[in-house]
Amino acid sequence: MKLNSRETGGVVILEPKGKIMGGPDATAMHEMLHELVAADKKRIIVDLGGVDWMNSTGLGILISSLTTMRNNNGDLKLANITEKIQSLLTITKLVTVFETFDSVDDAVGSFSTN
Amino acid sequence: MKELKRELIIPNSQNNLAEADDFIESNLETLGVDKSLIADIAISATELINNAILHGNGGDTSKQVKIRLEVENKTVIVEIVDQGKGFDPTIIPDPLAEENLLKEVGRGIFIARSLVDELRFDREPGWGTKASITKYLPG
Repeated sequence: MKLNSRETGGVVILEPKGKIMGGPDATAMHEMLHELVAADKKRIIVDLGGVDWMNSTGLGILISSLTTMRNNNGDLKLANITEKIQSLLTITKLVTVFETFDSVDDAVGSFSTN
Repeated sequence: MKELKRELIIPNSQNNLAEADDFIESNLETLGVDKSLIADIAISATELINNAILHGNGGDTSKQVKIRLEVENKTVIVEIVDQGKGFDPTIIPDPLAEENLLKEVGRGIFIARSLVDELRFDREPGWGTKASITKYLPG
């Protein structure tokens, strides 16, 4: 997995690519998300368009980050969900927990209307 | 479709998870298995390999995990064998229960079972717990 990040209008967009399955890459993503909170960056979008698939480790990272952001008056939203990840969110009922958007632009826009 | 039987043994570390995934995916790709089905098998298998490394073998780096891949009669079987003492998969809390929905961990076995046709646990003599997944290929 590769992990890029960029910022637009006070919103940090994380762009993981590849597979999120556990191990050192997943740890790096977990740490990056928690460093963002420490740096007072609490409006996060995870662009999942480049993620082939993830397992429960990836879902765990997203849940942990979502909880951390919301506990700090922030939020984490998901964009560009692939069919495989949508299916995982559905079977785990996490589709009821995460706010998801078809595009990063839509997700960014949703922060300004909150 | 060609038949195939391969085995990989990895040291007990999540650093070797990508190697195990590549072993499964690349072997299935050479047989022309559908990409989406390969992803289901790989997600399920990596859940069980993580489980073997962290729970079955308790993170002990002196232990190993054995991954056996077999394709026969349009059926893919992946066996993941640890060197642990075993566990009771029926006592795992329901990850879909409202009180567990926001938990960071605890849905690996559920996902592993959801994406394949069969998942069963038994023991492998001389090793430990053996998790076996079966996925039937179409056609």
